[in-house]
Amino acid sequence: MPETADKALSSEVAELLRTVQQYRQRIQADLHEQVVAAIYAHAEQIAARAVCSSVGPKRPTLDQKIDRIVTSRLWGFPIMFALFALMFWITISGSNVPSAFLAEWLVERGHPWLRDLTLAWGWPDWLRGLTIDGMYLATAWVVSVMLPPMAIFFPLFTLLEDLGYLPRVAFNLDALFRKAGAHGKQAMSLMMGFGCNAAGVVSTRIIDSPRERLIAILTNNFSVCNGRWPTQFLMATLFVGALVPAPWSSLAAAGAVTGVALLGVLMTFVVSWALSRTVLKGQPSAFSLELPPYRPPRVWQTLYTSLLDRTIFVLWRAVVFALPAGALIWLSANVHIGNDTLAAHLVRTLDPVAIWVGLNGVILLAYVLAIPANEIVIPTILMLTVVVTGQPEAGAGAGVLFEVEDQNVLRTLLVQGGWTTLTGLNLMLFSLLHNPCSTTLYTIYKETGSWRWTLWAALLPTAIGLSICFLTTCLYRACT
Amino acid sequence: MYWIFWAAVGILAVLIAVWPRQGVVARWCRARRLASRARREDALKHILKTEANGREATLESVSGALQLSPRKTAGLLAELESGGLIHFEGGRMQLSDQGRELATHVVRAHRLWESYLAEQTGLTEEQWHRQAERQEHLLSRQQAEALAAQLGHPRIDPHGDTIPEPGDTLPADRGSSLNSLQPDAPAVITHVEDEPQTLYARLTREGLRPGVKVCILERTPNMVRLWGHGREHLLSPLEAQSIGVEPLKGLSLKELQSQVFLHRLQPGQTARIVELSPACRGMERRRLLDLGFVPGTVVTVDMASPMGDPRAYRVRGTTVALRHDQARWIRVEPLASSVP
Repeated sequence: MPETADKALSSEVAELLRTVQQYRQRIQADLHEQVVAAIYAHAEQIAARAVCSSVGPKRPTLDQKIDRIVTSRLWGFPIMFALFALMFWITISGSNVPSAFLAEWLVERGHPWLRDLTLAWGWPDWLRGLTIDGMYLATAWVVSVMLPPMAIFFPLFTLLEDLGYLPRVAFNLDALFRKAGAHGKQAMSLMMGFGCNAAGVVSTRIIDSPRERLIAILTNNFSVCNGRWPTQFLMATLFVGALVPAPWSSLAAAGAVTGVALLGVLMTFVVSWALSRTVLKGQPSAFSLELPPYRPPRVWQTLYTSLLDRTIFVLWRAVVFALPAGALIWLSANVHIGNDTLAAHLVRTLDPVAIWVGLNGVILLAYVLAIPANEIVIPTILMLTVVVTGQPEAGAGAGVLFEVEDQNVLRTLLVQGGWTTLTGLNLMLFSLLHNPCSTTLYTIYKETGSWRWTLWAALLPTAIGLSICFLTTCLYRACT
Repeated sequence: MYWIFWAAVGILAVLIAVWPRQGVVARWCRARRLASRARREDALKHILKTEANGREATLESVSGALQLSPRKTAGLLAELESGGLIHFEGGRMQLSDQGRELATHVVRAHRLWESYLAEQTGLTEEQWHRQAERQEHLLSRQQAEALAAQLGHPRIDPHGDTIPEPGDTLPADRGSSLNSLQPDAPAVITHVEDEPQTLYARLTREGLRPGVKVCILERTPNMVRLWGHGREHLLSPLEAQSIGVEPLKGLSLKELQSQVFLHRLQPGQTARIVELSPACRGMERRRLLDLGFVPGTVVTVDMASPMGDPRAYRVRGTTVALRHDQARWIRVEPLASSVP
């Protein structure tokens, strides 16, 4: 008799549902909340019975004293700026020596040695070019420029984090970020972005509010990362520094670089503000920021985790992308269509567009080819310039990345390639405002799990960059 | 050679226009069908709401509510009648069973969608209504049911209105207008009308949401001075009209005015949490509960950030920073021993 059984069951279910409904009517406020309150009460009861603690519920006075100072109106901001300035100084000055060392061994000695070796083995020219001149050289370049600053910056950052100081920075700066619709913790991912944008994007995990986290991810690219500083310094010395009399030139160059970095911070706030009011307004948001107690940092553990989690992790991704890009760079300069190389064709196609934004086809092509890492943008530009101007003897051969130490030689080379002050200035701006490198893009995809936001992260800064370059070009041409 | 190019462009344009389902013509037809269905459903909804509140829907009231010309409204009503959704008895408009069922579903879908937007997205109050006005015509009965299950079968929407179950009769709006409330008599907001939008936006910015306890301090012909949420609000009679209230027994104005909220405490002061305002909802509310800001908890104001907002609070052995926007929803009772 399954049918009657079903009927009996369904009437029972209906009865049960009615009872549930009656109970629901009786609950005054939110059920969820009453459950939470009950859980807390119960936990408190258990804790009172089972846990005995030597310290009271009060905070340790030393913590309180430190907090009074680092979050005070008078000292809060100066201490913060001083600490970060110190951190950058240590990073920049500390990474010079290992960078030079790596460049010497991997690029200056390693590359010719590998060439000779493959020559002895009798590899065909194209294979040697593709693997050694293309893939190996690009990867070696990325590693030697990228590794030392990251290996210094990330442990320092992690030490501050471990100490408990970084949440105080978020606490101090939250008022500023709140006005832009963002979270105070974005201050940390922004700082991290100055080291590496990919690591900056990963560090947004500390922001637990979905909307603010997306804002932090999408705007992280406006922090000038470690790979872009060399471009900034070079362009500033070559083109901005040359505008003023010699004694002032280094000051003017430093000012220009600082200006670009500050413009990046400004863009972070402006774009955060705009995003939170337009595209992201539907994302849920809730602020919370815990200020953990201070504790002595665990130095060895910090070193270990920051090297492994951040440095090696980012480096590995960069290497994975640098290998194929190196091959592409080499191919572009060595594949011939008609009488010209592929690179020359592409540069000619891009030139008309580039003229509008005060750049040139070489720069645009370099940004497309060197998408895996900003570190190899300048070498790619130099290589393409000599290929396109038809003087490969100035460089190291077609498709081979190189760098020029002597600034006068470098300037002559670029001016022959048709560069003006405007080109240099716009390259500085475009280096700040263009799509993130492929490592960062891939990280953004991993973190958001969405192609849509990855696309936004790529197109938004590029669109802003192109329009700003267009504006400066119009201004420049109107003035001269 | 150019004619090939232009022919290709022409063919492409024709294809874009007439492509089945995705083409411009198909989309346009669909949008028109949806618009006319939305008009029918809006009319039914209006009739149901007026009926629930003991008033009578007329041709003028329908045309006013839908912002249609009387001629078009008459056509619309005739269409509804021929569809068997309404009928006229002695010149009075009545919903048929079928019409009532449909109207109840639309109201249910609207209020469920607003609950969803309030609980699970970051859209602000002003944006809920417009989205829900659209979504109410798109949700099927199964989808509405699934949404209700996902939200834990809510009974009240964020404006304080009852969400009708299928087959229920729609209850009248709770409470009466703020304009009919006596001065010095505390009341609780039960409903905030979400149209017109500018008015509603201002009321939510003032923090006047359902569940907030208020009291009229003074009334003149052109303004209402209102106490609510620890401060004074100045409202025009028009704004007061869109707030529905129910009188509160057993609470005096003095008690209401002596209520303290967390963001008003001095640094160093300690207090016990009394309640989280019902006006704080969704993710924001859950976050506060997760952090341990539950009724009964003792909180101390630890320190302020250099710019004053956020401030750090000591709660259950941890230090947590909250913005003023959050702390203002937490009602506390200062502990006497701790006044600095």
